[in-house]
Parts: sequence; structure tokens; C-alpha cells
Amino acid sequence: MKYLAMVAAVLLVLSYGCASKPVGDASTLSAADEARLAQEEAQRKKDRDARLVEEDLAKSRQEKEKQERQLQEKMKAAKWSDVNFDYDSYAVRSEDVPRLNELGEWLKANKDIRITVEGHCDERGTIEYNLALGQKRAEAVKGHLVKLGIDGKRIRVISYGKEMPLDSGHTEEAWARNRRAHLAVDKKG
Amino acid sequence: MTKLRCIVVLLFLIVGVGMAEAKVYLDVYGKAHKKVTIGIPHFKSDKATRARTDMTELLNNDLDMSGFFVVAPSSLFDRELLDEGIEKAETKFPNWRSIGIELVCKARVVETGGEVALEAYLYDTLDGSVLLAKRYRTKPNEWRKIVHRLADDILLAVTGEKGIMDSRIIFVGGTTRNKDVYTASVDGTGVRRITSFRNITVSPSVSPDGKYLAYTSFKEGKPNLFITNLETGADVHVERQDGMKIGTAWMGKSTLAYSHTSGRTSTIYAYDVVKGQKKALLTKEGILTSPSFSPDGTKLAFVSDMYGSPQVFVQDMASGHVKRLTYSGNYNTSPSFSPKGDLIAFVSKIGGAFEICTMNVDGSNQRVLTSGGVNDSPHFSPCGRYIMYSSKRGNRYNLYVMLYNGENKRLLKFTNGNEEQPKFAP
Repeated sequence: MKYLAMVAAVLLVLSYGCASKPVGDASTLSAADEARLAQEEAQRKKDRDARLVEEDLAKSRQEKEKQERQLQEKMKAAKWSDVNFDYDSYAVRSEDVPRLNELGEWLKANKDIRITVEGHCDERGTIEYNLALGQKRAEAVKGHLVKLGIDGKRIRVISYGKEMPLDSGHTEEAWARNRRAHLAVDKKG
Repeated sequence: MTKLRCIVVLLFLIVGVGMAEAKVYLDVYGKAHKKVTIGIPHFKSDKATRARTDMTELLNNDLDMSGFFVVAPSSLFDRELLDEGIEKAETKFPNWRSIGIELVCKARVVETGGEVALEAYLYDTLDGSVLLAKRYRTKPNEWRKIVHRLADDILLAVTGEKGIMDSRIIFVGGTTRNKDVYTASVDGTGVRRITSFRNITVSPSVSPDGKYLAYTSFKEGKPNLFITNLETGADVHVERQDGMKIGTAWMGKSTLAYSHTSGRTSTIYAYDVVKGQKKALLTKEGILTSPSFSPDGTKLAFVSDMYGSPQVFVQDMASGHVKRLTYSGNYNTSPSFSPKGDLIAFVSKIGGAFEICTMNVDGSNQRVLTSGGVNDSPHFSPCGRYIMYSSKRGNRYNLYVMLYNGENKRLLKFTNGNEEQPKFAP
């Protein structure tokens, strides 16, 4: 893509150079020729503009990719792994506090980033209570981050109850994995 | 339901008078009851009708499912009994009684001019009294409907209240992350999907007048609560504020109760669809969910974790007084009032299982009705004698119906997917 653009640019410059020669001798030209030349000039201008737009788009695409790369780098530095909970509990466990503190520091350093916290439950229990419980789990994680000084407006919480298990198994391990608050960058904005 | 052209004709005035005084054969609210043995000889009909419809078999199934009858196997009836006519004068009651049959239901099916007619009698073999004499007519392809009507009428004649076989229900069907609201007849026919969001859609309920459907759906990316006019298909109200809006229960004709959990607190709201007004009924820290009103609207049952674990409470609407109903175990949820107002069904974690239970409205007399597995969403029939619920067997949720005392559990079959959160539809 980049090469194509370059080749096109070189060709255009060359053709411009060639075409400009007769223009220097404009006094000898008939009115019809002048009109034709003006038309050609207009066409060349149009081509030049098109090339400029093309370059701009490429540039902005590069910029976007760069930003995405930087975000990925930043995200690597943050602690994104799920926060897990005890059965029927929405209290953040003490072992998860240092991790959440680190995430809080990272959010302070990256003020442009918003996050979502999804609350989930294991399959044991009733649909409605689990939907409310998932909300409380997500709110508990949000509450912890807000206490660290993060603006609550940057954190969107949503509960999925037991509707979206991470592990479809029916073992203690699967249930423990499914009782979670899942953290992610809020791409919606 | 009203669409169906089903004409019921009372055959004899004398019989009508007799029926009005029909004695109640079973005390349905007794602790246990003895089932009545009923004999149903094959309905009289021509060969073509018999080949196309199996009305006798369907009535057998319906009465078995009702939980109030022992349906005698047809192998018990000898040639002489089977050759009898359907009229009282043609029936030799001592013969039926001698093989242990207490009630006998006889019927004749006639198809004429694009219509099927069922003429049915129910006799008490002890004294030959006529408990029911009715003719039902409908379109030939709706023959199941008139059998269900007959089953419900037999229940009315014998127990004093209609059965549930002619009812429609709603439930949530589908697969993980792809749940929609369905409606169907209790017998498993007429399955229809009434939402098609292909997202997570839960906790549906239909207003008592059948006009509105309320549910919570993630179709807009977060859990919002919708009230849809079923006649026009238009949303009449949507709750979009942050947080979880869940658990829909109707009070009166057009007031919907639901819970909202956001931030530190939860609130149970009542939304009047006609007036477009919202009122907070109760706010507490932590979780409040699954509101359910007593039939007279004076009591509100709900779940709260105000003492650390989910328990069932009831609030007196006039005084605002809140009473805790469950103390046993650390997980009691999903309360649901009986339309009779005498019982509350709920889910209790017992051992590793989640069981359907009932209790009196003051919390006394708690009974465990299921045994093992993950059972959820108990809901009473309009007559208060049956409880429908979902139960997980293996990897699948299915719907079941049982008597209010836990007897006579029957699997209901509708779709090939999961089926959850059933409710009887008006």
C-alpha cells in the first residue's frame, strides 16, 4: 500500500514536470489550447489532492495502530485478571486487594482510559438472586477503586448473574472460577 | 383463548340442577387425600375420527397429571362394560363398582360439517348420580382443547375447582446467552416464541388482564426492564437507569413490581402502567429482589440479605412492618405467593441442593417438596393447587408441575432447549 502510494507520487511529479514545459510558452497558445491546458491543470490538481487525502488516511491509520499498540502495552502493565469471590459473597477478598491497588495506580496514570467491571456468579442458586449478586460483586470492585481515588464515572458495572459462565463444569473449581468480577477496557468510551 | 369457538351446551336442566349441588369429593387442602379411581371406556366414535384423534388417551393423561385420580387401565374393562351405551340408563353401575371404579366417564365423539362434537357424562358408580353432562364443540384441528376443557370440568365436578389442563403458560427458553420468552399450552402444544432478541432475556410475567408483558433483557447491552403491550407490540415503558432491574410481579391490573440494585442500596418499585407513575415501596442496603404480592395486595414478599445471607421477608403494606419468614439455612430465595393467599413457595438450599419449598404466610409449617438438584422459580397455578417450577437434570433445565404438597410431579415438554422461569398466563 505504502509502495503503491510512493510510486504514484513519483509518477505524478514526473508527469507534472513534463507537462509544465509548454505552459512556459503560454503567449503563443490559442484560446482553445489554453482552455485545454486549464482543464488538464485542474485534473492534475484534483489528482494531487486525491494523493494528499490518501496519505492522510494512511497516516491516521498508522496513528490508530500506534495508539492500539500503546494501549496493549499499557494494559500489559495493569492487573486485568478476574477478581474471584467466595460462595454467595460480594466482599473483595484480602488477597485481591494488592492487585486492585495496582490496577488503581495504573488507572491514575492512564486517565484517558475507562473500564467495565462485569459481575458473575456460579450456577448454584436462583436466576434473579444471582443477577442481583453479580451486580453487588461488580459494585464492590468499583467501590474499592473509587476509594483509591478513581473517578466513578470511568467505571461501568454490569451484572450477568449466572448467565455467562467462564467454565461450564460443575465442580468446585469451575464454580470458583465462575464467581468473578471481570475487568476490561471500556471500548464504548 | 377467547378466539376459540368452543360452545358448551348443558344437556338437561335436571342435570344442571344436580350439578349445582355437586358434592365435593376431595378436600384439596387436606394434608393428604385419597385419589379417586376413575374408569374411562373408549369414547364412542367412527373409525376415521378414532384414527385421527385419541381423545380417550388424552383425557387419561390429563386426569393422571391432575394428581386427583387413579385412572383405571382399559384392560380392566370386559366386553360387556365396553359395549354399554353412554347414557345413564344403559350403564350397569354395580358392574363398574365391582371392579373398583368409583367414577365412570363416558363420551361420544361426532364429526359433522367441519366440526367435532364431544358429548360427555360423568357418573358416580355408587348411586348412579350424574356429576357432569356437557357437549363441547370446536374445529376438528382443535380437538385437544375440548378434551382439556372436559378434564378441567371433571376436576371442577369432583374437587370443586377447575384444573389447569386448558391453561397457557409463559417461560424463558433457549440456550446460554440466547434466551427468549415463549408461550405454550400446558400440554406442550402451541409453542410460540414471543420475543426474538437472541440475547439474555429473563423474568417475564404477564399482567392479570393479559395486556402487558414485563421482562428484563440485555438486548441494549445492559439489563433493562421492558413493559410491552402485547396487543400492539410496542414498549409502553422501559427502565434504563444504571444497575440491575429484575424480578417482575404484577399487583392488580396494571401495576408492576420489580427490584433495582445499584450502588449501595436496592429498591423495590411499583410502576403503574396506566398512570405512568413509579413509587418506591422499600429501600435497603445490599440486595432486595424477587418481589411477590399477596393476592389482596396487602403483603409484599421479597428476598433480602440484610442479615448476611439471602432470606425471605414479608412487608405489611399498610403498616410498613417487615417480618423475616425464613431462618433455616443460609439461602432462601424466589418467594411466590399462592393466588389463594395461604402459602408462599420459595427455594431453599438444603445440603448441596436447591429445593422447592412452601410455608404459611407467617413463615410456619415449612415443607420441602423436591429432592435434589437445582430447582428454581416456583409459581402457583391460578387455583393455588399446583406449583410449576424449573429443574436442572444433567445439563438441561426443564419445567415440571406438581401438586402444592409435592405429589404427582410431571415433566412438561415444550422445546429442545433450556426452559426456565415458568408462569401461568391469564
